[in-house]
Amino acid sequence: MSELVIQTRDLNKKYGGRYAVRHLNLEIARGEIYGFLGPNGAGKTTTIRMLLGLIRPTMGSIQMFGKDLKKDKLNILRKIGSLVEYPSNYGHLTAVQNLEAVRRILDVPKSRIDEVLSIVSLTKEAKRPVKGYSLGMKQRLGIATALLGNPELLILDEPTNGLDPEGIHEIRELIRSMPKQHGITVLVSSHLLSEVEQMAGTVGIIREGEMVFQDTISNLQQQASSGFRLVVSEPQEALLLVRGQGYAGQLENGGLKLEQLSDPEVALLVKRLVDNNHAIYRVEEKRQSLEDIFMQVIEQGGFQ
Amino acid sequence: MGGYLKVLSSERLKMSRSYIVLLMLISPLIAVLIGLLSSVGGSSMPWITLMMVMSMVHAMLFMPIMSGIFAAFICRYEHSGGGWKQLLVLPVTRTGVYFAKYTVVAVMLAITQLLLAVAVFLVGFIKGIHAPVEWDIMLRSILGGWIACLPLAALQLAMSMMWSSFAAPLALNVTLTIPNILVANSSTFGPFYPWAQPLLASLPGNAMEGGGFGALNLPFENLMITVLGSFVVFFIFGWVYFKMKEV
Repeated sequence: MSELVIQTRDLNKKYGGRYAVRHLNLEIARGEIYGFLGPNGAGKTTTIRMLLGLIRPTMGSIQMFGKDLKKDKLNILRKIGSLVEYPSNYGHLTAVQNLEAVRRILDVPKSRIDEVLSIVSLTKEAKRPVKGYSLGMKQRLGIATALLGNPELLILDEPTNGLDPEGIHEIRELIRSMPKQHGITVLVSSHLLSEVEQMAGTVGIIREGEMVFQDTISNLQQQASSGFRLVVSEPQEALLLVRGQGYAGQLENGGLKLEQLSDPEVALLVKRLVDNNHAIYRVEEKRQSLEDIFMQVIEQGGFQ
Repeated sequence: MGGYLKVLSSERLKMSRSYIVLLMLISPLIAVLIGLLSSVGGSSMPWITLMMVMSMVHAMLFMPIMSGIFAAFICRYEHSGGGWKQLLVLPVTRTGVYFAKYTVVAVMLAITQLLLAVAVFLVGFIKGIHAPVEWDIMLRSILGGWIACLPLAALQLAMSMMWSSFAAPLALNVTLTIPNILVANSSTFGPFYPWAQPLLASLPGNAMEGGGFGALNLPFENLMITVLGSFVVFFIFGWVYFKMKEV
Protein backbone atom coordinates (compact mmCIF):
# COMPACT_ATOMS: atom_id res chain seq x y z
CA MET A 1 0.00 0.00 0.00
CA SER A 2 1.01 3.65 0.27
CA GLU A 3 3.68 5.11 2.53
CA LEU A 4 3.82 4.09 6.16
CA VAL A 5 3.02 6.68 8.80
CA ILE A 6 4.10 4.48 11.67
CA GLN A 7 6.63 1.71 11.47
CA THR A 8 8.18 0.07 14.49
CA ARG A 9 10.96 -2.48 14.24
CA ASP A 10 11.45 -5.08 16.93
CA LEU A 11 10.09 -2.76 19.59
CA ASN A 12 10.58 -3.95 23.16
CA LYS A 13 9.72 -2.55 26.56
CA LYS A 14 10.83 -4.36 29.65
CA TYR A 15 9.67 -3.63 33.19
CA GLY A 16 11.76 -5.47 35.72
CA GLY A 17 12.17 -8.92 34.23
CA ARG A 18 8.89 -8.87 32.32
CA TYR A 19 8.35 -7.76 28.76
CA ALA A 20 5.33 -5.46 28.46
CA VAL A 21 5.91 -5.22 24.71
CA ARG A 22 8.01 -7.69 22.76
CA HIS A 23 9.28 -7.82 19.16
CA LEU A 24 6.54 -5.52 18.00
CA ASN A 25 6.44 -4.60 14.33
CA LEU A 26 3.64 -2.16 13.80
CA GLU A 27 2.88 -0.90 10.30
CA ILE A 28 0.28 1.76 9.65
CA ALA A 29 -0.25 3.25 6.22
CA ARG A 30 -1.31 6.80 5.48
CA GLY A 31 -5.03 7.48 5.42
CA GLU A 32 -6.16 4.28 7.06
CA ILE A 33 -7.92 3.55 10.31
CA TYR A 34 -5.89 1.03 12.21
CA GLY A 35 -7.56 -0.89 15.01
CA PHE A 36 -5.10 -1.88 17.72
CA LEU A 37 -6.68 -4.72 19.63
CA GLY A 38 -5.86 -6.75 22.66
CA PRO A 39 -7.15 -7.60 26.11
CA ASN A 40 -6.44 -5.27 28.99
CA GLY A 41 -2.80 -5.38 29.98
CA ALA A 42 -1.61 -6.74 26.63
CA GLY A 43 0.67 -3.77 26.03
CA LYS A 44 -1.49 -1.44 23.93
CA THR A 45 -1.07 1.61 26.13
CA THR A 46 2.62 0.88 26.66
CA THR A 47 3.08 0.79 22.89
CA ILE A 48 1.18 4.03 22.44
CA ARG A 49 3.19 5.75 25.17
CA MET A 50 6.35 4.72 23.35
CA LEU A 51 5.00 6.06 20.06
CA LEU A 52 4.37 9.41 21.74
CA GLY A 53 7.75 9.58 23.43
CA LEU A 54 6.26 9.44 26.93
CA ILE A 55 8.42 6.43 27.74
CA ARG A 56 11.58 5.11 26.14
CA PRO A 57 11.70 1.72 24.43
CA THR A 58 14.09 -0.78 25.98
CA MET A 59 15.07 -1.83 22.46
CA GLY A 60 13.98 -1.32 18.88
CA SER A 61 13.22 1.67 16.69
CA ILE A 62 10.21 3.79 15.90
CA GLN A 63 9.86 5.51 12.54
CA MET A 64 7.06 7.99 12.04
CA PHE A 65 6.46 9.95 8.86
CA GLY A 66 9.68 8.35 7.66
CA LYS A 67 11.73 9.91 10.46
CA ASP A 68 13.28 8.46 13.56
CA LEU A 69 11.34 9.36 16.71
CA LYS A 70 14.47 9.68 18.81
CA LYS A 71 16.08 12.21 16.48
CA ASP A 72 13.09 14.17 15.25
CA LYS A 73 10.79 14.04 18.23
CA LEU A 74 9.41 17.58 18.16
CA ASN A 75 8.76 17.63 14.42
CA ILE A 76 6.97 14.30 14.67
CA LEU A 77 4.91 15.24 17.72
CA ARG A 78 3.79 18.39 15.94
CA LYS A 79 1.94 16.21 13.42
CA ILE A 80 0.25 13.99 15.98
CA GLY A 81 -2.86 14.47 18.06
CA SER A 82 -3.46 11.99 20.83
CA LEU A 83 -5.66 10.84 23.65
CA VAL A 84 -3.98 8.39 26.02
CA GLU A 85 -5.99 6.22 28.41
CA TYR A 86 -8.37 8.57 30.15
CA PRO A 87 -8.85 12.13 28.87
CA SER A 88 -6.59 14.82 30.30
CA ASN A 89 -7.91 18.19 31.33
CA TYR A 90 -7.62 20.97 33.85
CA GLY A 91 -10.80 20.75 35.89
CA HIS A 92 -10.81 24.35 37.11
CA LEU A 93 -10.74 25.69 33.55
CA THR A 94 -13.53 25.77 30.98
CA ALA A 95 -13.30 23.82 27.74
CA VAL A 96 -12.23 26.95 25.90
CA GLN A 97 -9.51 27.71 28.45
CA ASN A 98 -8.34 24.11 28.37
CA LEU A 99 -7.98 24.32 24.62
CA GLU A 100 -6.35 27.74 24.88
CA ALA A 101 -3.71 26.33 27.26
CA VAL A 102 -2.80 23.80 24.59
CA ARG A 103 -3.21 26.26 21.72
CA ARG A 104 -0.57 28.56 23.19
CA ILE A 105 1.92 25.76 22.85
CA LEU A 106 0.81 24.57 19.42
CA ASP A 107 0.67 28.08 18.03
CA VAL A 108 -2.40 27.61 15.84
CA PRO A 109 -4.90 30.42 15.17
CA LYS A 110 -7.51 31.12 17.87
CA SER A 111 -10.32 30.31 15.46
CA ARG A 112 -9.20 26.70 15.57
CA ILE A 113 -10.67 26.40 19.08
CA ASP A 114 -14.20 27.05 17.84
CA GLU A 115 -13.63 24.71 14.93
CA VAL A 116 -12.63 21.73 17.05
CA LEU A 117 -15.37 22.43 19.58
CA SER A 118 -17.95 22.26 16.82
CA ILE A 119 -16.40 19.08 15.38
CA VAL A 120 -17.02 17.31 18.70
CA SER A 121 -20.27 19.27 19.28
CA LEU A 122 -19.24 20.87 22.56
CA THR A 123 -19.84 24.46 21.48
CA LYS A 124 -22.80 24.90 23.81
CA GLU A 125 -20.97 23.65 26.90
CA ALA A 126 -17.69 25.38 26.11
CA LYS A 127 -17.93 28.06 28.80
CA ARG A 128 -18.44 25.72 31.75
CA PRO A 129 -15.65 24.44 34.03
CA VAL A 130 -14.64 20.99 32.88
CA LYS A 131 -14.93 19.40 36.31
CA GLY A 132 -18.72 19.39 35.88
CA TYR A 133 -18.53 17.47 32.61
CA SER A 134 -19.75 13.92 32.10
CA LEU A 135 -17.20 11.33 31.07
CA GLY A 136 -18.47 11.45 27.50
CA MET A 137 -18.02 15.21 27.33
CA LYS A 138 -14.51 14.96 28.76
CA GLN A 139 -13.75 12.32 26.17
CA ARG A 140 -14.99 14.61 23.41
CA LEU A 141 -12.96 17.48 24.80
CA GLY A 142 -9.96 15.13 24.75
CA ILE A 143 -10.57 14.44 21.08
CA ALA A 144 -11.02 18.16 20.41
CA THR A 145 -7.65 18.77 22.08
CA ALA A 146 -6.11 16.04 19.94
CA LEU A 147 -7.49 17.69 16.79
CA LEU A 148 -6.43 21.21 17.75
CA GLY A 149 -3.06 21.18 15.99
CA ASN A 150 -4.43 19.92 12.64
CA PRO A 151 -2.68 16.58 13.07
CA GLU A 152 -1.87 14.20 10.24
CA LEU A 153 -2.05 11.29 12.64
CA LEU A 154 -4.52 10.75 15.43
CA ILE A 155 -3.67 8.27 18.18
CA LEU A 156 -6.64 7.38 20.35
CA ASP A 157 -6.25 4.98 23.23
CA GLU A 158 -9.56 3.36 24.17
CA PRO A 159 -11.56 6.43 23.15
CA THR A 160 -14.91 4.83 23.90
CA ASN A 161 -13.98 3.40 27.28
CA GLY A 162 -16.73 4.02 29.79
CA LEU A 163 -19.12 5.68 27.36
CA ASP A 164 -22.79 4.85 26.91
CA PRO A 165 -23.96 3.36 23.57
CA GLU A 166 -24.91 6.75 22.21
CA GLY A 167 -21.54 8.20 23.11
CA ILE A 168 -19.78 5.21 21.58
CA HIS A 169 -21.74 5.70 18.38
CA GLU A 170 -20.91 9.40 18.24
CA ILE A 171 -17.20 8.87 18.76
CA ARG A 172 -17.17 6.06 16.23
CA GLU A 173 -18.79 8.24 13.58
CA LEU A 174 -16.33 10.98 14.40
CA ILE A 175 -13.35 8.67 13.98
CA ARG A 176 -14.77 7.21 10.80
CA SER A 177 -15.04 10.67 9.26
CA MET A 178 -11.42 11.57 9.97
CA PRO A 179 -9.63 10.01 6.96
CA LYS A 180 -12.35 11.06 4.54
CA GLN A 181 -12.97 14.62 5.67
CA HIS A 182 -9.62 15.62 7.05
CA GLY A 183 -7.16 13.17 5.52
CA ILE A 184 -6.07 12.02 8.94
CA THR A 185 -4.57 8.62 9.66
CA VAL A 186 -6.04 7.09 12.81
CA LEU A 187 -4.65 4.57 15.27
CA VAL A 188 -7.39 3.53 17.63
CA SER A 189 -6.92 0.97 20.37
CA SER A 190 -9.61 -1.08 22.02
CA HIS A 191 -10.15 -4.30 23.89
CA LEU A 192 -13.40 -4.87 22.01
CA LEU A 193 -13.27 -6.09 18.45
CA SER A 194 -16.89 -5.18 17.83
CA GLU A 195 -16.01 -1.58 18.46
CA VAL A 196 -13.21 -1.46 15.96
CA GLU A 197 -14.51 -3.73 13.20
CA GLN A 198 -17.02 -1.14 12.04
CA MET A 199 -14.47 1.53 11.39
CA ALA A 200 -11.02 0.03 10.99
CA GLY A 201 -9.55 -1.08 7.67
CA THR A 202 -6.62 -2.89 9.24
CA VAL A 203 -6.29 -4.50 12.62
CA GLY A 204 -3.36 -5.51 14.75
CA ILE A 205 -4.01 -7.89 17.60
CA ILE A 206 -1.57 -7.90 20.48
CA ARG A 207 -1.37 -10.49 23.19
CA GLU A 208 1.04 -10.49 26.12
CA GLY A 209 3.10 -7.83 24.39
CA GLU A 210 3.43 -9.65 21.08
CA MET A 211 1.65 -9.02 17.80
CA VAL A 212 -0.31 -12.14 16.89
CA PHE A 213 -2.24 -10.87 13.89
CA GLN A 214 -1.83 -7.88 11.61
CA ASP A 215 -3.84 -7.70 8.42
CA THR A 216 -6.91 -6.13 6.84
CA ILE A 217 -10.21 -6.59 8.56
CA SER A 218 -11.65 -8.34 5.50
CA ASN A 219 -8.94 -10.98 5.71
CA LEU A 220 -9.81 -11.44 9.33
CA GLN A 221 -13.45 -11.83 8.33
CA GLN A 222 -12.50 -14.38 5.68
CA GLN A 223 -10.97 -16.50 8.40
CA ALA A 224 -14.28 -16.22 10.11
CA SER A 225 -16.31 -18.07 7.47
CA SER A 226 -16.92 -21.63 8.49
CA GLY A 227 -19.45 -23.11 6.09
CA PHE A 228 -23.00 -22.78 4.83
CA ARG A 229 -26.51 -23.43 5.90
CA LEU A 230 -29.24 -24.33 3.45
CA VAL A 231 -32.90 -24.33 4.37
CA VAL A 232 -34.89 -26.35 1.87
CA SER A 233 -38.34 -27.93 1.57
CA GLU A 234 -37.17 -31.58 1.86
CA PRO A 235 -33.96 -31.65 3.83
CA GLN A 236 -33.57 -35.47 3.91
CA GLU A 237 -33.67 -35.87 0.17
CA ALA A 238 -31.63 -32.76 -0.39
CA LEU A 239 -28.89 -34.13 1.85
CA LEU A 240 -28.66 -37.28 -0.24
CA LEU A 241 -28.36 -35.15 -3.35
CA VAL A 242 -25.66 -32.99 -1.80
CA ARG A 243 -23.69 -36.00 -0.69
CA GLY A 244 -24.10 -37.40 -4.19
CA GLN A 245 -22.27 -34.32 -5.46
CA GLY A 246 -19.37 -35.16 -3.23
CA TYR A 247 -19.84 -32.58 -0.49
CA ALA A 248 -19.87 -33.33 3.18
CA GLY A 249 -22.97 -32.20 5.04
CA GLN A 250 -25.41 -33.03 7.78
CA LEU A 251 -28.85 -32.18 9.06
CA GLU A 252 -29.14 -29.48 11.60
CA ASN A 253 -32.28 -27.80 12.95
CA GLY A 254 -34.29 -28.70 9.89
CA GLY A 255 -31.62 -27.30 7.60
CA LEU A 256 -28.47 -28.56 5.97
CA LYS A 257 -25.08 -27.71 7.34
CA LEU A 258 -22.37 -27.72 4.71
CA GLU A 259 -18.64 -27.19 4.64
CA GLN A 260 -17.11 -24.05 3.25
CA LEU A 261 -17.55 -23.75 -0.51
CA SER A 262 -16.41 -21.41 -3.23
CA ASP A 263 -18.93 -19.16 -4.94
CA PRO A 264 -19.21 -21.24 -8.18
CA GLU A 265 -19.63 -24.39 -6.10
CA VAL A 266 -22.49 -22.82 -4.19
CA ALA A 267 -24.14 -21.68 -7.42
CA LEU A 268 -23.85 -25.12 -8.95
CA LEU A 269 -25.21 -26.83 -5.87
CA VAL A 270 -28.20 -24.54 -5.68
CA LYS A 271 -28.91 -25.09 -9.38
CA ARG A 272 -28.84 -28.87 -8.88
CA LEU A 273 -31.27 -28.64 -5.99
CA VAL A 274 -33.64 -26.42 -7.94
CA ASP A 275 -33.46 -28.73 -10.94
CA ASN A 276 -34.51 -31.54 -8.65
CA ASN A 277 -37.59 -29.59 -7.56
CA HIS A 278 -36.37 -28.58 -4.14
CA ALA A 279 -37.69 -25.26 -2.89
CA ILE A 280 -34.83 -23.26 -1.43
CA TYR A 281 -35.83 -20.92 1.33
CA ARG A 282 -32.47 -19.67 2.50
CA VAL A 283 -28.76 -19.89 1.72
CA GLU A 284 -26.73 -18.59 4.64
CA GLU A 285 -23.05 -18.26 5.18
CA LYS A 286 -22.26 -19.40 8.66
CA ARG A 287 -19.92 -16.93 10.22
CA GLN A 288 -17.94 -17.28 13.31
CA SER A 289 -18.40 -13.92 14.91
CA LEU A 290 -15.28 -11.79 14.89
CA GLU A 291 -15.44 -11.89 18.63
CA ASP A 292 -14.97 -15.67 18.46
CA ILE A 293 -12.00 -15.28 16.15
CA PHE A 294 -10.57 -12.62 18.35
CA MET A 295 -10.79 -14.95 21.32
CA GLN A 296 -9.29 -17.75 19.26
CA VAL A 297 -6.39 -15.55 18.21
CA ILE A 298 -5.80 -14.33 21.70
CA GLU A 299 -5.98 -17.76 23.29
CA GLN A 300 -3.89 -19.60 20.75
CA GLY A 301 -1.55 -16.79 19.89
CA GLY A 302 -2.48 -16.72 16.20
CA PHE A 303 -4.17 -18.81 13.54
CA GLN A 304 -2.78 -22.29 13.44
CA MET B 1 14.29 26.69 23.73
CA GLY B 2 11.99 23.70 23.36
CA GLY B 3 8.90 25.89 23.55
CA TYR B 4 9.87 27.43 26.92
CA LEU B 5 8.07 30.72 26.28
CA LYS B 6 4.99 28.97 24.93
CA VAL B 7 4.78 26.68 27.94
CA LEU B 8 5.25 29.69 30.18
CA SER B 9 2.33 31.45 28.53
CA SER B 10 0.22 28.31 28.90
CA GLU B 11 1.20 27.99 32.58
CA ARG B 12 0.14 31.53 33.22
CA LEU B 13 -3.31 30.77 31.91
CA LYS B 14 -3.64 27.60 34.01
CA MET B 15 -2.47 29.50 37.08
CA SER B 16 -4.59 32.58 36.59
CA ARG B 17 -7.92 30.88 37.18
CA SER B 18 -7.01 29.57 40.61
CA TYR B 19 -6.98 30.92 44.13
CA ILE B 20 -3.24 30.39 44.51
CA VAL B 21 -2.79 34.08 43.77
CA LEU B 22 -4.46 34.90 47.09
CA LEU B 23 -1.85 32.86 48.96
CA MET B 24 0.78 35.37 47.93
CA LEU B 25 -1.06 37.99 50.00
CA ILE B 26 -1.30 36.11 53.29
CA SER B 27 2.24 36.46 54.56
CA PRO B 28 2.60 40.18 53.69
CA LEU B 29 -0.77 40.87 55.37
CA ILE B 30 0.29 39.09 58.56
CA ALA B 31 3.56 41.02 58.42
CA VAL B 32 1.60 44.28 58.25
CA LEU B 33 -0.28 43.25 61.37
CA ILE B 34 2.92 42.36 63.21
CA GLY B 35 4.52 45.63 62.06
CA LEU B 36 1.63 47.76 63.25
CA LEU B 37 1.67 46.10 66.66
CA SER B 38 5.41 46.49 67.15
CA SER B 39 7.14 49.53 68.53
CA VAL B 40 10.24 50.68 66.73
CA GLY B 41 10.39 54.13 68.21
CA GLY B 42 13.49 53.64 70.36
CA SER B 43 15.60 52.10 67.62
CA SER B 44 18.55 53.93 66.12
CA MET B 45 17.79 52.36 62.75
CA PRO B 46 13.98 52.23 62.71
CA TRP B 47 13.67 50.95 59.09
CA ILE B 48 15.97 48.00 59.69
CA THR B 49 14.29 47.14 62.96
CA LEU B 50 10.85 47.36 61.42
CA MET B 51 11.88 45.19 58.52
CA MET B 52 13.42 42.57 60.77
CA VAL B 53 10.34 42.45 62.95
CA MET B 54 8.12 42.09 59.93
CA SER B 55 10.19 39.58 58.00
CA MET B 56 10.95 37.26 60.92
CA VAL B 57 7.87 35.04 60.60
CA HIS B 58 7.75 35.64 56.88
CA ALA B 59 11.28 34.39 56.24
CA MET B 60 11.32 31.73 58.91
CA LEU B 61 7.97 30.11 58.17
CA PHE B 62 6.04 31.50 55.24
CA MET B 63 8.70 31.69 52.55
CA PRO B 64 9.86 28.06 52.98
CA ILE B 65 6.26 26.86 53.20
CA MET B 66 5.21 28.93 50.19
CA SER B 67 8.09 27.51 48.17
CA GLY B 68 6.59 24.09 48.82
CA ILE B 69 3.02 25.13 48.15
CA PHE B 70 3.77 26.89 44.87
CA ALA B 71 5.87 23.96 43.66
CA ALA B 72 3.21 21.44 44.66
CA PHE B 73 0.47 23.54 43.13
CA ILE B 74 2.10 23.87 39.77
CA CYS B 75 2.33 20.09 39.56
CA ARG B 76 -1.06 19.36 41.05
CA TYR B 77 -3.23 20.03 38.06
CA GLU B 78 -0.86 17.99 35.92
CA HIS B 79 -1.01 15.02 38.29
CA SER B 80 -4.74 15.10 38.88
CA GLY B 81 -6.08 15.49 35.37
CA GLY B 82 -3.46 13.50 33.49
CA GLY B 83 -1.95 16.79 32.42
CA TRP B 84 1.63 15.55 32.19
CA LYS B 85 0.66 13.28 29.32
CA GLN B 86 -1.25 15.98 27.53
CA LEU B 87 1.57 18.46 27.99
CA LEU B 88 4.43 16.14 27.02
CA VAL B 89 2.86 14.83 23.81
CA LEU B 90 2.87 18.40 22.54
CA PRO B 91 5.89 19.59 20.59
CA VAL B 92 7.83 20.74 23.65
CA THR B 93 10.99 19.41 25.27
CA ARG B 94 11.04 18.21 28.85
CA THR B 95 13.71 20.82 29.50
CA GLY B 96 11.40 23.55 28.23
CA VAL B 97 8.59 22.37 30.50
CA TYR B 98 10.84 22.02 33.54
CA PHE B 99 12.35 25.47 33.13
CA ALA B 100 8.92 27.02 32.61
CA LYS B 101 7.49 25.35 35.71
CA TYR B 102 10.43 26.46 37.78
CA THR B 103 10.18 29.99 36.45
CA VAL B 104 6.56 30.24 37.56
CA VAL B 105 7.45 29.14 41.11
CA ALA B 106 10.37 31.56 41.27
CA VAL B 107 8.26 34.45 39.99
CA MET B 108 5.50 33.78 42.50
CA LEU B 109 8.05 33.78 45.30
CA ALA B 110 9.47 37.04 43.96
CA ILE B 111 6.02 38.63 43.96
CA THR B 112 5.44 37.50 47.55
CA GLN B 113 8.78 38.98 48.57
CA LEU B 114 8.03 42.18 46.71
CA LEU B 115 4.70 42.46 48.52
CA LEU B 116 6.54 42.13 51.81
CA ALA B 117 8.80 45.02 50.85
CA VAL B 118 5.71 47.07 49.98
CA ALA B 119 4.23 46.10 53.36
CA VAL B 120 7.33 47.27 55.22
CA PHE B 121 7.25 50.69 53.56
CA LEU B 122 3.51 50.94 54.09
CA VAL B 123 3.82 50.26 57.83
CA GLY B 124 6.80 52.62 58.09
CA PHE B 125 4.74 55.27 56.40
CA ILE B 126 1.76 54.71 58.71
CA LYS B 127 4.03 54.83 61.75
CA GLY B 128 5.61 58.01 60.43
CA ILE B 129 9.24 56.89 60.43
CA HIS B 130 11.30 59.85 59.33
CA ALA B 131 14.77 58.34 59.40
CA PRO B 132 16.41 57.88 55.98
CA VAL B 133 15.74 54.50 54.38
CA GLU B 134 18.73 52.17 54.60
CA TRP B 135 18.50 51.03 51.00
CA ASP B 136 21.57 48.81 50.83
CA ILE B 137 20.74 46.66 53.84
CA MET B 138 17.06 46.47 53.03
CA LEU B 139 17.54 45.60 49.37
CA ARG B 140 20.05 42.96 50.33
CA SER B 141 17.57 41.45 52.73
CA ILE B 142 14.65 41.46 50.27
CA LEU B 143 16.66 40.20 47.32
CA GLY B 144 18.73 37.79 49.42
CA GLY B 145 15.61 36.36 51.03
CA TRP B 146 14.21 35.58 47.61
CA ILE B 147 17.40 34.08 46.21
CA ALA B 148 17.74 31.90 49.30
CA CYS B 149 14.31 30.40 48.53
CA LEU B 150 15.42 29.21 45.09
CA PRO B 151 17.28 26.03 46.13
CA LEU B 152 14.37 24.97 48.29
CA ALA B 153 11.93 25.74 45.47
CA ALA B 154 13.98 23.51 43.14
CA LEU B 155 14.04 20.72 45.72
CA GLN B 156 10.31 21.00 46.32
CA LEU B 157 9.58 21.08 42.59
CA ALA B 158 11.51 17.82 42.18
CA MET B 159 9.59 16.28 45.09
CA SER B 160 6.26 17.42 43.71
CA MET B 161 7.09 15.98 40.28
CA MET B 162 8.01 12.65 41.82
CA TRP B 163 5.02 12.31 44.10
CA SER B 164 1.63 12.45 42.47
CA SER B 165 0.22 13.29 45.90
CA PHE B 166 -0.33 16.95 46.63
CA ALA B 167 -0.05 16.62 50.40
CA ALA B 168 3.04 14.42 50.81
CA PRO B 169 5.71 16.89 49.67
CA LEU B 170 3.91 19.66 51.55
CA ALA B 171 3.82 17.70 54.79
CA LEU B 172 7.51 16.96 54.48
CA ASN B 173 8.19 20.60 53.75
CA VAL B 174 6.30 21.90 56.76
CA THR B 175 7.89 19.29 59.02
CA LEU B 176 11.34 20.38 57.95
CA THR B 177 10.48 24.08 58.19
CA ILE B 178 9.49 23.94 61.84
CA PRO B 179 12.98 23.31 63.29
CA ASN B 180 14.23 26.41 61.45
CA ILE B 181 14.79 28.57 64.49
CA LEU B 182 16.88 25.84 66.10
CA VAL B 183 18.89 25.10 62.97
CA ALA B 184 19.53 28.80 62.44
CA ASN B 185 21.30 28.85 65.79
CA SER B 186 23.99 26.57 64.48
CA SER B 187 26.57 28.37 62.43
CA THR B 188 27.85 24.97 61.25
CA PHE B 189 24.65 23.45 59.87
CA GLY B 190 22.41 26.46 59.44
CA PRO B 191 23.74 27.69 56.09
CA PHE B 192 23.41 24.22 54.56
CA TYR B 193 19.83 23.69 55.65
CA PRO B 194 17.66 24.75 52.68
CA TRP B 195 14.68 25.57 54.90
CA ALA B 196 16.71 27.97 57.03
CA GLN B 197 18.46 29.74 54.17
CA PRO B 198 15.67 32.31 53.57
CA LEU B 199 15.76 33.31 57.24
CA LEU B 200 19.54 33.62 57.30
CA ALA B 201 19.56 35.70 54.15
CA SER B 202 16.72 37.97 55.24
CA LEU B 203 17.92 38.97 58.69
CA PRO B 204 21.01 41.11 58.59
CA GLY B 205 22.68 39.79 61.76
CA ASN B 206 25.45 42.34 61.94
CA ALA B 207 22.91 45.14 61.74
CA MET B 208 20.90 43.76 64.63
CA GLU B 209 21.24 45.60 67.85
CA GLY B 210 23.49 43.60 70.12
CA GLY B 211 24.48 41.43 67.17
CA GLY B 212 22.65 38.41 65.74
CA PHE B 213 22.80 34.85 66.89
CA GLY B 214 24.16 31.60 65.51
CA ALA B 215 24.39 31.43 61.76
CA LEU B 216 23.02 34.96 61.42
CA ASN B 217 26.48 36.38 62.01
CA LEU B 218 28.06 34.60 59.07
CA PRO B 219 29.11 36.78 56.17
CA PHE B 220 26.36 37.28 53.59
CA GLU B 221 28.68 36.37 50.72
CA ASN B 222 29.51 32.98 52.20
CA LEU B 223 25.84 32.24 52.64
CA MET B 224 25.11 33.17 49.03
CA ILE B 225 27.83 30.81 47.80
CA THR B 226 26.25 27.98 49.77
CA VAL B 227 22.83 28.94 48.44
CA LEU B 228 24.11 28.96 44.88
CA GLY B 229 25.77 25.59 45.39
CA SER B 230 22.64 23.94 46.74
CA PHE B 231 20.57 25.56 44.00
CA VAL B 232 22.75 24.01 41.30
CA VAL B 233 22.55 20.58 42.94
CA PHE B 234 18.78 20.57 43.45
CA PHE B 235 17.95 22.18 40.13
CA ILE B 236 20.03 19.72 38.12
CA PHE B 237 18.68 16.82 40.16
CA GLY B 238 15.08 17.82 39.36
CA TRP B 239 15.90 18.51 35.73
CA VAL B 240 17.56 15.14 35.15
CA TYR B 241 14.78 13.38 37.01
CA PHE B 242 12.12 15.04 34.89
CA LYS B 243 13.96 14.26 31.65
CA MET B 244 14.05 10.56 32.57
CA LYS B 245 10.56 10.39 34.07
CA GLU B 246 8.22 7.80 32.58
CA VAL B 247 4.87 9.43 31.98
